[in-house]
Amino acid sequence: MTTLTHIIPSLVASVTGSLVQDGHADAAGEVGHAAEQVSHAVSQGITPPVDGPLWIALIPLLPILGVVLTTLCAIFKVKSKLPAFLTVGCLAASFGLTVAMYQHLSGMGPGSTVVVTAFEWFDLSWGAGEGQRFQADFAFYVDTLTCLWMLFVTGLGTLIALYASEYMAQDVGKGYSRFFMAFNLFVFSMACLVMGENLLVLFLGWEGVGLCSYLLIGYFYKKPAAVEAAKKAFIVNRIGDLGLLLGIFLTFVKFGTVSYPELWPLVEPYIQMVKSGHAGDVPLTVSLIPILLMVGAFGKSAQLPLYVWLPDAMEGPTPVSALIHAATMVTAGVYLIARMYPMFLVSEYALPIVGWIGALTALLAATIGMAQFDIKRIMAYSTVSQLGYMFCGLAVLSSTGAAFHVFTHAFFKATLFLCCGAVMHGFAGQLDLRKLSGVAFMKGWGIVGIAMLVGCLNLAGFPFTAGFFSKDMILAESFVTAGPGYGAIGWILLITAGLTAYYTFRVFFRVFVGPKAFEPGDELHEDHGDDGHGDESRPEAGATKFHPHAPGLAVNLVLGILALASIVAAGAYFVDKEDHGWVGRLVHESSANYTGSAAFLEHGDGAHRLEAGATGDGEAGAVEHGEAGAAGHGAAAAHGSFLGMDPHKAMYYVSSVVGLIGIGAAFYLHYLGRTTAARSKADDLLPALGPIPRWAQHKWYVDEFYNAVIVVPLRVLAHVFHAIDRLLVDGVVNLAGVLPRFVGSRIRPWQNGVMHGYAVGMVGGLALLIAAVVLLSM
Amino acid sequence: MIERIGYLWPEIVLFIGACLTMVIGLSPNADMRKQTGLIAGVSLLIAAALGLATPAAPTWAILPGIMPFAKPLIALVGLLLLLVNIGSVDRDEEAAIAAGKPFNPLRVTGAEFYAFFLFSLMGAMLCATAGDLIWLFLALELTSLPTYVMVVLSGRGKKGFDRSQEAGVKYFFLGALGAGIFLYGFALLYGGTGTTQFVEIAQHFAAHGMNPIATVGLVLALVGVSFKIAAVPMHFYTADVYQGSSGGVAAFLAFVPKTAGMISILLLVSTVGWAAGQGSLPPAIESLLWALAVLTMTVGNVLALLQSSLKRMLAYSSIAHSGYMLVGVIAGPGDGSFVSSGIAAVLFYLLCYGVMSTGVFAVLASLERKSGGEAVEVESLDDIKGLCRSHPWLGWSMVICMLSLLGFPPILGFFGKVPLFTSALGAGHVVLVVILALNSAIAAFYYLRVVAGVMIDPESDSGVRDTGVPARVIAAVISGVLVLGLSVFGNVFMGSGEKAAEVRRFVGQSDEHDTDSVPLDEHSEAAEDEHHAVSH
Repeated sequence: MTTLTHIIPSLVASVTGSLVQDGHADAAGEVGHAAEQVSHAVSQGITPPVDGPLWIALIPLLPILGVVLTTLCAIFKVKSKLPAFLTVGCLAASFGLTVAMYQHLSGMGPGSTVVVTAFEWFDLSWGAGEGQRFQADFAFYVDTLTCLWMLFVTGLGTLIALYASEYMAQDVGKGYSRFFMAFNLFVFSMACLVMGENLLVLFLGWEGVGLCSYLLIGYFYKKPAAVEAAKKAFIVNRIGDLGLLLGIFLTFVKFGTVSYPELWPLVEPYIQMVKSGHAGDVPLTVSLIPILLMVGAFGKSAQLPLYVWLPDAMEGPTPVSALIHAATMVTAGVYLIARMYPMFLVSEYALPIVGWIGALTALLAATIGMAQFDIKRIMAYSTVSQLGYMFCGLAVLSSTGAAFHVFTHAFFKATLFLCCGAVMHGFAGQLDLRKLSGVAFMKGWGIVGIAMLVGCLNLAGFPFTAGFFSKDMILAESFVTAGPGYGAIGWILLITAGLTAYYTFRVFFRVFVGPKAFEPGDELHEDHGDDGHGDESRPEAGATKFHPHAPGLAVNLVLGILALASIVAAGAYFVDKEDHGWVGRLVHESSANYTGSAAFLEHGDGAHRLEAGATGDGEAGAVEHGEAGAAGHGAAAAHGSFLGMDPHKAMYYVSSVVGLIGIGAAFYLHYLGRTTAARSKADDLLPALGPIPRWAQHKWYVDEFYNAVIVVPLRVLAHVFHAIDRLLVDGVVNLAGVLPRFVGSRIRPWQNGVMHGYAVGMVGGLALLIAAVVLLSM
Repeated sequence: MIERIGYLWPEIVLFIGACLTMVIGLSPNADMRKQTGLIAGVSLLIAAALGLATPAAPTWAILPGIMPFAKPLIALVGLLLLLVNIGSVDRDEEAAIAAGKPFNPLRVTGAEFYAFFLFSLMGAMLCATAGDLIWLFLALELTSLPTYVMVVLSGRGKKGFDRSQEAGVKYFFLGALGAGIFLYGFALLYGGTGTTQFVEIAQHFAAHGMNPIATVGLVLALVGVSFKIAAVPMHFYTADVYQGSSGGVAAFLAFVPKTAGMISILLLVSTVGWAAGQGSLPPAIESLLWALAVLTMTVGNVLALLQSSLKRMLAYSSIAHSGYMLVGVIAGPGDGSFVSSGIAAVLFYLLCYGVMSTGVFAVLASLERKSGGEAVEVESLDDIKGLCRSHPWLGWSMVICMLSLLGFPPILGFFGKVPLFTSALGAGHVVLVVILALNSAIAAFYYLRVVAGVMIDPESDSGVRDTGVPARVIAAVISGVLVLGLSVFGNVFMGSGEKAAEVRRFVGQSDEHDTDSVPLDEHSEAAEDEHHAVSH
């Protein structure tokens, strides 16, 4: 209670404070400096692409080969793990080629882009005029941003396929081939999405990943919840896709092309317009494009108000949750905005909307995550929340931070999901954190425990982990960049960071440490037949006879690699230091390189590098002081400030402290305060918060709200329309159907089979035609 | 004349093949007789290869690029048609001979059938080679005459032979009437222009404009040739003849005479339209074609709605597709690019239509039904209900080809129709495009009825079974696969279609007709007699 009463007023205060501060900054109108940066970025950031080697096209083609091979496995009813190994092989080869592609690109010098045209896809024209020709090649656009994304898509795809080979073992001979078919198809679609040279190829991939997501969420199609979740994901994504599609249409209508390299120069004049303070001169049709694209991004990346599908998507097999719904597909929205970054600078409102939606999503999802008991769902909400961070990163002109967070998040979230999956697998589908305890200390679960710890530390932003650096970059920039309410965004993110640390370690302390205890779930493999541990899988055996089966080699290997990768990912921050890390270099050399260029968002001095030096204690005190009375700060520096300090310097310590506070709270409540496996001190505190925990547990009733506001009215409307359809439209349609039939029945007698009748018809028709022509020529 | 031999190698090969089949097909040795189909197939393959290598742009041709596209197209679809037709004649007779009946050369018809098959294809190819009216007339008749016989032969020895005979006779007489009409038209064209050479006719029109005799001649010629493509009002025979023929021959009739007719129409129209430098057709010819197109597609689709017999339905659908293609003829060559050229659209559509309609007929030809102890061809939609379950390969081929005929995106028929739309839009024929779209919507009704029928499970077993000729099933599956394959890789053929659709334009020089014809380049204007300007 006390915490919340303190946080809320300070939040309000900081929002108002930062708004005042922004107003001041806008009034100052210091655009000159930023304008220089824009022109610099525009002229430097985009290099005309050169044709690339055709083998690059193999990167998406190899997964297609996987699709074909696994389909053949399904046709020939292969009853072994062959589909999994074929998949791992294809994806590993694809990963190898991706590395080669990165090497190739690196060898071409900074800022190079490569276009590989596989074939001409669409070429339509309906006149010779401007904008009357639609062209889209099936081509791939490779720059460093593409490489970054493809590296972790194919890399994680390979690892998770390996994990899935063991995880899905009980379905060998049943859905195994189908699973890996969809898995391959997903990687292909994701590759199209990321590597596409134009928005149409991106859209193909976009819909492809949506389809695969649908297929894989509904993988257990006999389970009603899975089917429901699949449908929900599909339908909610359609809403977003409508936005994306409209955005693509509008892009074509306005610019006459959907190809990236052709778009950039066409967009530039509008950016210049915004930069020179004439944002009002940008036509609405242009400034609407980023808003529409954004809707697509929000759908795919599960942001407000379209996030509701992602938590339900956890009905799919865990490897799918890890790959699609945590590491790769859900970052497609981030990719879209990063790729189309120039387009997002033509509207003053686009990036601030992205930022606010991201921040609110991050906070909302974190609060829901705190109150859930299903560990996979907690991870799902944390994904939604972290995606919010990434969008904020984009909005605060830190596309580097966003991309870096995507990168680190891909690894540690995959680790976390796969750990949860291992637990779920081993404990017969048990995911309730009240019914599991001390898992890490059980025999054979050590690697899972360690990997989980690594993942949790990253997610919680524990100092010197990869997640810490990437999150910091976004946090600091949100205080540096001036924009509508950006200071408040920073505060929201900071609070969310604390909440994140709390709910993450709540899972860890409840499930992985503490007294050893468990209750198995209800999936006792009775419907899976004998899969090697049939003796323990009698449904009536109950908890007493159930033995959890520890993960095997493939799972442990993959978890080990991923945990290691999560740790090593931090190293990317220290390479290429002048560009804010390796990821920063990749982002700077791509179309997302507009950092510090939006004139309406002042970005300050651009001194991004954090300098270590000052001690942490004093800063931490300042934070606590600040939370108590943030309204007091008003010393607006030339660029954004964090309580009067340079955010770059301060954020290291502040976010460390916030993270540690969250972890500490979890430690106190759920480790020290643990009474039984099912109860901890936190449960005693809950009544003090009134109905809030219950509301949070019920996800703030958002689903119910959508149901009442959207689904029910739509149902009613559907019934109304149905009635209209029956009475009115069917009548018209029947009439329209009757007309051709009537005409037909009138002319049918002529088709009477009598030959001279036909001859008369032919000659008569000819006579009429000649008469008509003669009349017309006269 | 002799230099034209260089363009005739595919036809020569087919001729040799036809002669060989005629001789070998009468051999008393059953194994020798069986080789006829193989010989026909091999000669078609060679003809296709030679057709591809046909040299382009001869000076006597009015559509210089059409041969390297049309000839391989005819030969390759012919190969598919051959697969559908294998074993359609002489099955009972050969079975009886194998059982010990003495061989009687008067009773086997395989020799004639395959020879006529090749002759007809050869005629269609000769249409593409035509440079003058007489050649075109002979080629068209060479295409048609064998088909009259094939219709009758295909029904021989089967139940319903009387219907085949009736169909054959009807087809012959009405075909003769049609031939009479276009021959009269050709004669008037000669009378009006003083030459039978297309290029010279075009030059004459460019120089002196249209005259009434030539106009009427052209109208008669176009309407007469419409018989071959089964366009209204020359369409009456279609349903009866298709119904009276075996599935394989019906497939042949749906493609070969239509292709020959479409090519002839393109050649004839080339003499007055864009060739005369106007860029569009003279109003009289344009309104004639407009009326033909609208009537043809509307009547075809409307009557197809009412049919219960699948073959009759397909006959009317074939009429409707001719109407679609006429839209491309009206649109003309545009700026020469694939999407703006109606000619390229027509040529590409012929390819699409050939593959998808052959597929549908192949499925029908592959199936038979027991009726009163005798095997008869499937007739109604009820017969093929649940085909996807009982004969998956045939069923799915049917679904794919039907959806393609409907123009369902993203299957081949859709990509065939899109250039028709774009070219007509580019030429400013908005009303025509709307009518085309409405007709496609009407067509959806009867195509989807078949698709749904094939896909749903039947309540009872319809008793339909395979005819036991694997070649037909193979043809159906190949067609289905081709429809899917060309949906993805069709752009290769779009490119060659674009090349094939290259036209010659002749710039008028007489002042009274020169007002709205813009000289295409200075050189051709300067040269009084040599006014060839090949446009792109």
